[in-house]
Amino acid sequence: MTTATNNATRAADKKLITEIFVDGARKGWNAAITSMMPNVVMAFVIIRILEMSHGLDIISKGFEPVMSLFGLPGAAGIMLIGYWLSMGGGLGVALALLTKGQLNAHDLVVMAPACYIVGSNIQYLGRILSVIGTEGRYHSVMQVINFITGFVSIAIMQAIV
Amino acid sequence: MQSNGDVLMTTDSSSNSSSKWSLTGVIAFCFACIFFSGLLQSKEWWGIFDFLTLAGNFGKVVHSVSTKVADGHVVEVVAKTTSFRGSGGAGATDGFLFALTLAPMVIFAMGVFAIIEHLGALEVARRLMEPLFRPLLGIPGICGLTALGSFQTVDVGAAMTNDLMARKLLNRREKTLFTQFQFCAGGLLTNFLMTGAVLLATAAATHDGTITTTSIGLVLVVNFVMKILATNLLRLYMALFDKTFDERTASMEAQLTAADAR
Repeated sequence: MTTATNNATRAADKKLITEIFVDGARKGWNAAITSMMPNVVMAFVIIRILEMSHGLDIISKGFEPVMSLFGLPGAAGIMLIGYWLSMGGGLGVALALLTKGQLNAHDLVVMAPACYIVGSNIQYLGRILSVIGTEGRYHSVMQVINFITGFVSIAIMQAIV
Repeated sequence: MQSNGDVLMTTDSSSNSSSKWSLTGVIAFCFACIFFSGLLQSKEWWGIFDFLTLAGNFGKVVHSVSTKVADGHVVEVVAKTTSFRGSGGAGATDGFLFALTLAPMVIFAMGVFAIIEHLGALEVARRLMEPLFRPLLGIPGICGLTALGSFQTVDVGAAMTNDLMARKLLNRREKTLFTQFQFCAGGLLTNFLMTGAVLLATAAATHDGTITTTSIGLVLVVNFVMKILATNLLRLYMALFDKTFDERTASMEAQLTAADAR
């Protein structure tokens, strides 16, 4: 009874720093579980579909002519799409292509900023855009802008490195 | 409904009224900058001032063992460990566990963010970053700490942005621009530390010294410039192709509020 009264007075008066933390943490829980988790699940399903349907190979093929415009081999497109799905996966693809000699060290460095720009974007569409509540029509606009910026970064890196 | 739309449009005036520079605010702001920057990431005592160090990690579990056999006897048992997510997962189920591994970061960061904000750091961020963020990105300075959070973990940035929106500190146009800023090269610092170092080190090892440590800095700088470029490309897009953005979102908001009321 006394504790309850004390708590009520304290809440009205001033919150303890621990209480502020817990209130904030509760917001974090809500964001993580009600918004981030369903979006991550969706992204993983999309990735699974792309992997199983060989959709990735088709997209990578499409990138080949674009990559040659920037003085890069077609394999650079595979690396970029690998990163687009997930950072870890992209790194694996990049290292594999390097070992096979399909990309050289110079290509990797030129590609590096672009890989971070579009890296894990398919997940981030859910983890950033959907969580923040971006208007549906802006999802594709933002994705296209990322790819444009990615290619600008490739041009810049080709000029510097 | 109408008043709701008005609040969305005029975030600047609302933040002017209760603004004050406080010493605690400045200290909290400096603390936040260091805390979320990852500069003090360490196992030493100063690690207590670093977000990722305090965020910690899940324990390891054994996922397989292999044995070395010599002369028909087992001489050594080697255990391979992973996090509780295991290895070889895929699809929705793997996504669920992956999301669980991210949740503690978001919960912890939002708790710390609440304290930092309570101490007045957001107001300091707003004043310090406003002259930089407003012309460069078209977003208010109050996004400063959130931007810092998003360099570390995109989920922290997204949750913080949601929070700013809920408290009407960002309008929809600013929110959209800020989202592009976070989306382009998302989670840059953490992603770069986790995968970039390996990539560049491997590249350096195969090449004849043309790739040096400056490459690492160069990649980061180019990425930051590109974040700004992407935000401004969206600004350009909105100015050219979506002139009615504000009106449309305001009416959409009004409809939603009306639906909620029903």
